[in-house]
Amino acid sequence: MQGLYIHIPFCKKKCRYCDFVSFPDLKCEDLYFVALVAEMRKYAPLMRERSFDTVFIGGGTPTVLKPGRIAALLNEAGKCFSIKPGAEITSEANPESASEEKLGELYEAGVNRLSLGLQSANDLELHAIGRIHSRQDFINAVSAARKVGFTNINADVMHGLPGQTVESCIDTLRLVTELEIPHISSYSLILEEGTPLYDDVRNGRVILPDPDDTADMEDAGFEFLAQRGYDRYEISNFAKPGSECRHNLNYWDNGEYLGIGLNSHSALRLKGDWTRFNNTDDLNEYINELGEGKLPVRNTRKIERDEEMFETIMLGLRKIKGVSRRGFEERFGCDPVERYAPAVSELEMEGWLEATEDSMYLTKRGLDFQNEALIKFMEQ
Amino acid sequence: MAFPKELIRNFCIIAHIDHGKSTLADRLMQLTDTVAERDMEEQLLDSMDIERERGITIKSTAVRMFYTARDGKTYMLNLIDTPGHVDFTYEVSRALAACEGAVLVVDATQGIEAQTLANVYLALDNDLEIIPVINKIDLASADPENAIHEIEDIIGLPAEDAPQISAKTGLNVEEVLERIVSDVPAPKGDPEAPLKALIFDSLYDNYMGALSYVRVMDGTVRPGDRIRFMHSGNEFDVTEVGIFDPGRKPVKELTAGEVGYISASIKSVAETKVGDTITLASCPAKEPLHGYKQANPMVFCGIYPADGADYGALKEALDKLILNDASISYEPETSQALGYGFRCGFLGLLHMEIAEERLEREFDLDLVTTAPSVIYRVIMLDGTVRMIDNPSNLPSPMEIQRMEEPMVMAHIMTPPEFVGSIMELCQEKRGFFLDMTYLEENRVKLSYRMPLNEIIFDFFDGLKSRSRGYASFDYELGEYEESDLVKLDFLLNGDMCDALSTIVHRDKAYAKGRAVAEKLQEVIPRQQFEIPIQAAIGGKIIARETVRAVRKDVLAKCYGGDITRKKKLLEKQKEGKKRMRQVGTVSVPSDAFMSVLRIN
Repeated sequence: MQGLYIHIPFCKKKCRYCDFVSFPDLKCEDLYFVALVAEMRKYAPLMRERSFDTVFIGGGTPTVLKPGRIAALLNEAGKCFSIKPGAEITSEANPESASEEKLGELYEAGVNRLSLGLQSANDLELHAIGRIHSRQDFINAVSAARKVGFTNINADVMHGLPGQTVESCIDTLRLVTELEIPHISSYSLILEEGTPLYDDVRNGRVILPDPDDTADMEDAGFEFLAQRGYDRYEISNFAKPGSECRHNLNYWDNGEYLGIGLNSHSALRLKGDWTRFNNTDDLNEYINELGEGKLPVRNTRKIERDEEMFETIMLGLRKIKGVSRRGFEERFGCDPVERYAPAVSELEMEGWLEATEDSMYLTKRGLDFQNEALIKFMEQ
Repeated sequence: MAFPKELIRNFCIIAHIDHGKSTLADRLMQLTDTVAERDMEEQLLDSMDIERERGITIKSTAVRMFYTARDGKTYMLNLIDTPGHVDFTYEVSRALAACEGAVLVVDATQGIEAQTLANVYLALDNDLEIIPVINKIDLASADPENAIHEIEDIIGLPAEDAPQISAKTGLNVEEVLERIVSDVPAPKGDPEAPLKALIFDSLYDNYMGALSYVRVMDGTVRPGDRIRFMHSGNEFDVTEVGIFDPGRKPVKELTAGEVGYISASIKSVAETKVGDTITLASCPAKEPLHGYKQANPMVFCGIYPADGADYGALKEALDKLILNDASISYEPETSQALGYGFRCGFLGLLHMEIAEERLEREFDLDLVTTAPSVIYRVIMLDGTVRMIDNPSNLPSPMEIQRMEEPMVMAHIMTPPEFVGSIMELCQEKRGFFLDMTYLEENRVKLSYRMPLNEIIFDFFDGLKSRSRGYASFDYELGEYEESDLVKLDFLLNGDMCDALSTIVHRDKAYAKGRAVAEKLQEVIPRQQFEIPIQAAIGGKIIARETVRAVRKDVLAKCYGGDITRKKKLLEKQKEGKKRMRQVGTVSVPSDAFMSVLRIN
């Protein structure tokens, strides 16, 4: 499988917890757009043999772009690359900029999956983390999305927010499930250094829930989703059968992907070598280098076979189904259960991991301690 | 041909950290063409990395300069640089004893600082001529009038015509040289008398062995002479004598009044003790110079390799370290929690920290250290006496008749406004008030008898914070005194952690037990099970805290395609795990053993 990612590093306003590369200032939008097009054109020859199964337009907030831009980008992508018929084409959107008009434009442009950043359906919690939309904006966005034709919709939600309780957390999930949104990404808030929220917490201006309370929210939330017929198919992702996100599954399968845009990351097999690289995270560098006809690539690394194996385990064990033994064997010529026998047996004894004929996967307890489990694989 | 003694000036520089001692020394060397400018490292005299980083001088060192003064004569100026911390007071006093004068550098923007004073008094005790110098007058915030005022008021030295300089720009630095020439007395001493050379420092050189840095008081020493160290009685044949230029440079002889080094194929600096007197075996001096003290370690701690496999490397490093610093003692010990390591003795807490830092840096070792301890005298029921420097070795209370702890005589100098809060601190630290005298209107000396184990932790920090840095402090070791001491143990999930045991006064055991338990609760990361932390005296639990079990350890977010980020986080977590020590079932981070010291 192959995925194409396109990054839109602009937002109306940056959220207080966000450490992604994004700017609350659209003055470079036009130059950036030109650079994106230039970058895709540069990659066109390299990608001639490949064909994308998925496209993901992420950000930032792609819907803050001028009208017609997403369509133009997808149009250009279609010219530069082969995109398979029936490909999953996702765009992210935030409720405040998801008007019927905007969403209609996305749908017309070929976007067939919409990922909405809800985070919380509680207006106080939204305010605390610097979101600029309300619960009602989200409800409106969902109805607009349905009206223009979207059926495949995701909502991102978070737990562990300032002021959040188990009840308010369930309330958010209740809204999402009652709106019959088929896919939910449910993350716990990660406090990242350098964000305004990080400073607030360190200075005592904001108090986050205790880790135990956050764990309670997570457990209660996941239980609630299970009761409503959502399958947990990855550590933080839930879907009604058939609505899993194919683009993300490709990441977790350690598949190939090409990232276009500022600070986007790529993994490709180049001349037989598993290779990772990323683009600069400096907007001026990105625009200037592409203007000079150069790719703004940084940190190109050849990944050795052992590391590629570990990556495959690290990503694969995020999935509830775990790592496919046959898939692993096909890729590396060895069985993961044998290759990592000491770690596997230790984790099995702990009750953290199970292996069947088809796959090797973490148990519920193992998923809770995934980091610890991975370190066992790493130590080998 | 010996240099005319009346043209020799031996002096040192006294300054607070950052007040520009090293910069001034550099300038003096530059002005006297002692070092070509291009050869100069930023702070030449401070040759150790740690010294350079901490901005303090640990070892004494010396440099010889020649200066043609305005009177047309050429003088030999020997600058002896001195360490600047209470742990090294003895070393400072010996370095000062090697001089006739001292340049007192005062920062025009800050005035006199506390630490400077202790050394000024030490210099006055040694009858040194003191030349005040006001530095940093190039800065906008400079207030030389105030600095002059402080020197006159606090120290009682006339400072009206003190040179006002900028060591940084070089402004008026020549004035300092002139003042050294005119004010510092020429050395006395008879080149023909029996040799008396004062060792003010020693250093180990890989090729030449232990070198004695000396000031020759009387007599003359030449290569080929057989010398005797008067306190140890050991004799050696001199292979080389030399001066500091500022690098070592051999000369034909060192004679009365001069400063230099003596090399005699000596294997270890343990033989060349600071303060000892070197004389000639053939014609010995009647008496050694006075002021010699055996520098005994007073503070002990366990030093362990963070990775048990590095035990051999740690031993090798310690062997090398003491070649250069004979005041460190060490012997092997084992801990259930920490494995194989060494019990090491130091002159004081800073000395200990510096040694640890040198081990980690110069020998690239990762260390775990335990709380410092003093030596306790334990009188057993059968009357035998045991000296205990490691709390884990304390016999059972059932076998002990009584215990004694070392006391010190602490002298604290402070401006009067801080007397109240300093007395409070001394009281908290179980001090017995002895005396309070006004040295000057603005200077009070407090004397206390205090247990050494109270001052090895955070007494100095407490003193500084309560006096806004103005109080200075010095101590001398006193007698042992009977004391109601108990061993305070800590249990993690029911298992005793020997590396955390300490000996404390019974009255303080509860507070300390509670404070350490709370600190441990902070520093021990949550694990997959609940961990009770208990403080205990004997079998009795006096405090309890709990580290709750961790519920999740998983990265929710997957950072899109940015795999490296997640890998880095895992690497970091893995490295963190490597720095953990296993105490029974509980993983304890290495630095927890040291961080429990820093409780308040």
